[in-house]
Amino acid sequence: MTDIAESMDPGVAAAIDDETRPRGIYPPTEEMLNEPVDPDLQKAQEARLRAVWAEPPGWRYWSAVNNSEVGAWYSLTAFAFMLCAGVLALLMRVQLAVPENDFLPADTFNQFFTMHGSAMMFLFAVPMFEAISILLLPAFLGARDMPFPRLSAYGYWAFLIGGIFVLSSILFGVAPNSGWFMYPPLATEAEGPGSDIWLLGLSFIEVASIAAAVELIVGVVKCRPPGMRINLMPLYAWYVLVVGGMILFAFPPLIAGDFLFEMQRSFDWPFFDPERGGDPMLWQHLFWIFGHPEVYIIFLPSIAIAAMVIPTAARRPIVGYNWIVLSAVGTGFLSFGLWVHHMFTTGLPSLSLGFFSAASEAVVIPTGIQLFAFVATLIVGRVRMIQPMLWIAGAVAIFTAGGLTGIMVALAPFDWQVHDTYFIVAHLHYTLFGGMIFPIIGGVYYFYPFFAKKKMSDRLGRISFWLTFTGFNICFLPMHLTGLKGMPRRVFTYPGDIGWDWLNLISTVGAFVTAAGILVFAWDLLRPKRDQDLTERNPWGGGTLEWAHDVPDPGWGVRGVPYITSRYPLWDQPNFLERLDTGRFYIPDAPEGLRETVVTSAVDAVPQHVARITGPAWCTIWAAVFTGGAFIFPTFHMYPPAIICGILAVAAVIYWLWTSTALVPEAPMKDAGLGLTLPTYVSGPRAPGWWGVFITMLGDSTAFASLVFGVFFYWTARPDFPPEGAVHASPLWTALAAALLFGSWAATRAARGINRGGNPRTAQILLIAAPLLAIAGGTALVLAVWVPGLAPSSHVYPAMMWALVVWTCAHVAAGVVMQGYCLAGTIFGKLTPRYDADLWNTTLFWHFLVVSCLITAAMIGILPRML
Amino acid sequence: MTLPVRAIAALVSLALLGGCDGVQSVLSPGGRDAQVIATLFWWMLGGAVILWLLMNGLLVYVTRIDQRAMSQRTAEALIIGGGIVFPTVVLAGLLAFALSEMPRQRDPGTGLTVRVTGESWWWRVEYLKDGATAAVVSANEIRLPAHQRSEITLNAHRVIHSFWIPALGGKTDMIPGRETRMSLEPTRAGEFRGQCTEFCGESHALMAFGAVVMEPEAFDAWLAKEAEPAAPPEGEAARRGQAIFNAEGCGACHAIRGTAATGRVGPDLTHLGGRVSLAAGILPMTEDALIRWIRDPEAVKPGARMPAYDHLGDGDLAALAAYLEGLT
Amino acid sequence: MQFDRRSSLWHMIAAPIAWSLHFCVVYGWTASVCARGWDAGTARLGIAIATGLAIAFIAAIGWHAWKQWDYLDDFDYEHDGPSVEDRREFLGHAGWLLALVSLIGVLFNASPALFISSCV
Repeated sequence: MTDIAESMDPGVAAAIDDETRPRGIYPPTEEMLNEPVDPDLQKAQEARLRAVWAEPPGWRYWSAVNNSEVGAWYSLTAFAFMLCAGVLALLMRVQLAVPENDFLPADTFNQFFTMHGSAMMFLFAVPMFEAISILLLPAFLGARDMPFPRLSAYGYWAFLIGGIFVLSSILFGVAPNSGWFMYPPLATEAEGPGSDIWLLGLSFIEVASIAAAVELIVGVVKCRPPGMRINLMPLYAWYVLVVGGMILFAFPPLIAGDFLFEMQRSFDWPFFDPERGGDPMLWQHLFWIFGHPEVYIIFLPSIAIAAMVIPTAARRPIVGYNWIVLSAVGTGFLSFGLWVHHMFTTGLPSLSLGFFSAASEAVVIPTGIQLFAFVATLIVGRVRMIQPMLWIAGAVAIFTAGGLTGIMVALAPFDWQVHDTYFIVAHLHYTLFGGMIFPIIGGVYYFYPFFAKKKMSDRLGRISFWLTFTGFNICFLPMHLTGLKGMPRRVFTYPGDIGWDWLNLISTVGAFVTAAGILVFAWDLLRPKRDQDLTERNPWGGGTLEWAHDVPDPGWGVRGVPYITSRYPLWDQPNFLERLDTGRFYIPDAPEGLRETVVTSAVDAVPQHVARITGPAWCTIWAAVFTGGAFIFPTFHMYPPAIICGILAVAAVIYWLWTSTALVPEAPMKDAGLGLTLPTYVSGPRAPGWWGVFITMLGDSTAFASLVFGVFFYWTARPDFPPEGAVHASPLWTALAAALLFGSWAATRAARGINRGGNPRTAQILLIAAPLLAIAGGTALVLAVWVPGLAPSSHVYPAMMWALVVWTCAHVAAGVVMQGYCLAGTIFGKLTPRYDADLWNTTLFWHFLVVSCLITAAMIGILPRML
Repeated sequence: MTLPVRAIAALVSLALLGGCDGVQSVLSPGGRDAQVIATLFWWMLGGAVILWLLMNGLLVYVTRIDQRAMSQRTAEALIIGGGIVFPTVVLAGLLAFALSEMPRQRDPGTGLTVRVTGESWWWRVEYLKDGATAAVVSANEIRLPAHQRSEITLNAHRVIHSFWIPALGGKTDMIPGRETRMSLEPTRAGEFRGQCTEFCGESHALMAFGAVVMEPEAFDAWLAKEAEPAAPPEGEAARRGQAIFNAEGCGACHAIRGTAATGRVGPDLTHLGGRVSLAAGILPMTEDALIRWIRDPEAVKPGARMPAYDHLGDGDLAALAAYLEGLT
Repeated sequence: MQFDRRSSLWHMIAAPIAWSLHFCVVYGWTASVCARGWDAGTARLGIAIATGLAIAFIAAIGWHAWKQWDYLDDFDYEHDGPSVEDRREFLGHAGWLLALVSLIGVLFNASPALFISSCV
């Protein structure tokens, strides 16, 4: 028997004080795992677990936050939004069926295609990945739930409110009509609230997406079962990790862009107005820095589903696990070097286009490896053509076609011809249907028995497949030719004498056949299955942990958190299910009546902590509603209600955090089973919350970096940045702001150390000083641009300086709230020298904040004088 | 999988039979750049079809035809060969070709510069021959001499547009606040069609233009004529049309060189009747079309800036149309 | 050679990070040179230097990863066991493969400078 200390990283072990050090035996021995559990005890444990994990009854059901509920709502909502966006596509196909049709007026058509793209991307593709991951990831990882269930619930409600708001604008004829890419000046000058609905509604949803990404990354990194080293993770978890990271670096530039855009719409700050030094190209860069990784953010998780289905179909482990990890990580990186291939025709220097052309070709290599690894697995295995596998095969057929046209359009001179034509429409739908729709539907067929404990119909599945597959090809294959014959995208009508008419008619027919296929699938998914028998536990004979879930679903996720020694525990680990069912693994009980899961170390999954997880709540819904108000009211220029909503949202979030996170536990350690004693409260890098803050701030820093990129962009692209004789920020006030904010950070950091050292009184004094310094510093920063009179609507230079100040001050405000929260914690006994997670997290936030404050000070105070 | 494969095969052959011709087709080139890209496309298409068949044939084979397990070595060789070696070589070749082609297609023009400005939703066109002091102003039609590379400089007035004549070569965006450029080298005379390819608002679909390639001598003659002021109206109706044109204040927006009309807001009409199409490539240049347009531009092109002249009687409209059509 | 568990995760993605930096430097440098109207030769020289550095760095990372993979000791490339060695070799193997793909990426990204000699 080995002590857990030997499994711990020496560096980490040294940093942990003795009180919270995990104690006991790890890894467990075979004898321990074989030790029988008393049947009466088993029953009692099961009863307690069931009570703790029960979903709230009656109308309180909607206060549930458990991943199985939220994940199901999330995916059904995303699917409903997809159907709406699909209906828009059908209406557009009707309009284009014949030349010079007048079924839809021009403006309506423009609203439709804008909304079709926006909804498919923001309301379906990305949320669907998050929904499915929330639903499945804990099961893949043998965890009881996601690390922050209330955050998933908050994300879901935000998504629902934002999605309905954005989509319903189409019913009132005020939807955005400038294309899903919202290029200024067209979109900045568009009349009516359409552009604002797009900007604010979708920013709101992007925030929810980032929240989900943070949670998923923390889930993969910290919530794996003991023993599941990084080389044993299910491939899905690898993809989640990669995609979560991509969301962190891809979405923030768009949020920064949205921020600049909305400042121009609301306050006339001329970021994209060439007459006042602005440049519409900055938006294109920011949008596509988001937009191209986005394509892979959609594609990779769907491929991840294929990576789960294929080994089951082939009845053997995946071939080339390493290769797939390489390709997922490689694609994740390379996908950030492609964005200008959406801008090949904007007249950038050939040399610049060449880099993006090269990277766009290079990304084919990891993508190809991925597909070949799947084929290799099928070659080596003895394949059963189960229903989900049919969809995966269809996906490969369609996706390879899309990938091959992708190789073509990545060549800049070829793209000069086909850019913004129906050739691209065909290409992107081939990649998205093959790389998203088909694998997802295959995944729904595959995982339906897991989350619904019933099977979908094989017969309907086949009908749906063949309708969708043929319909899709009838619709989109001819579009390649339509595009080559010169038909541009986004046209509401076309003349009859150019030879596009019959091609369009075929496409319209195909679109309706596809829709029929999707409808059959929807029916199969949603039809009542009350009379149907429950499925067996592992109907496809899969080898990964999700198939260990009990039938019928007891609600607790896993009976105990298992000890893992294989990539396919159900195939390889002896007596696995029996051990699981009798509660021989970790935390098989809930004696305190609390929801719990095991937190492990990032690389080797050594148990570190038993985390208490939040349960059902209404405050998350209120928080989402008020956040929604704060984003939606400004769309109609109603600022006072927006501000009230913002304050209420912050209040709801504070209530939620105060009442359910980092609570002082009843005992510092608890018996986790199998001879292991784990702490019930940790702070700093061992706590999931700390990781959540760290990852969120990485994303936030990316948004800030995008603003800084904006300054350098104007400097290279515009000769008048800064303009001759421009008024600069006051160096004195800037220096003062930097000093005060630095002081606030230092006070916060010192408070953490002194509090830990057992001197909470001094820490309290520092925590009173820190927010005061921060407020003074923020004020000084505003005065630095206010006093010399930088007029943001006169030119892009003062506007950009103001944007940096506004951004930084908003973060300082958040930092002040966090400092105040910690102060209150020390006063009311929620934060003590021993239980100080909140202070760790606040300090971490301030580490990032002080860097961005100093950069802002340098950008407004020093840099312009050097340029 | 046989059914859809057959369906696809049928569609492909139908498409090929249907032809790739057309006045706006990439695959029916009339210029050097378009020719190179069309050839490149046919080669790439051939390669893509072969690769697609290999990949999916393999998939069908192992899942449907022979499901016995094969050796892991074969499979791993497939990942390395198919995933790394083959694509690296093929892509490097394609990239080398594309990279060397790129600057060639952007070579500077020799002799003629055409300055095109994107408006909502029409094109302002100015021709400037090397050595000429003043530009020849026209609109909504591009004429180019064959067998030489012409420089095209692009601007946009309010929003982004994109300038594209598929039969001659690739497109380039027109961006407010920037001047972009491209060049085209037509290889045969003929009438083609160009269109705006960057979404530019309500009537983006209705922003096209005729593109006419002429033999160099014919082009020079045409340009010399285009540079002249408008001929005085001939015939009773046309003269009355000019009077109506002036009385209705059309000259505030439109210019007709040699007359009092000097507006710069709308298209130059000096040689309107000589163009192949009306209202930016969407109506034929006929009297009926002119009447339809003037009476209610909104009905033809939603969101058009030009006001409706539906208060004019049929006779007045006919006279106006006669005057404009006579401006050859 | 030391293969610390936390740093080896960073080692694994060091090569693609080098690719990203190379990409940013090359793109940013070229954009600045061309926007300022300087000679494209300056841009190409910068690209050559950046590429040389990136290749050297990726080669070093690749070598380190190869040592960590330690393929030649047991010819293991599956790494599907539960031991520390499996994890360490897995990260080495993945890092080595990523170095290979990053190297191809860097070479691809440098290729425009071979074929294009002006800022047009």
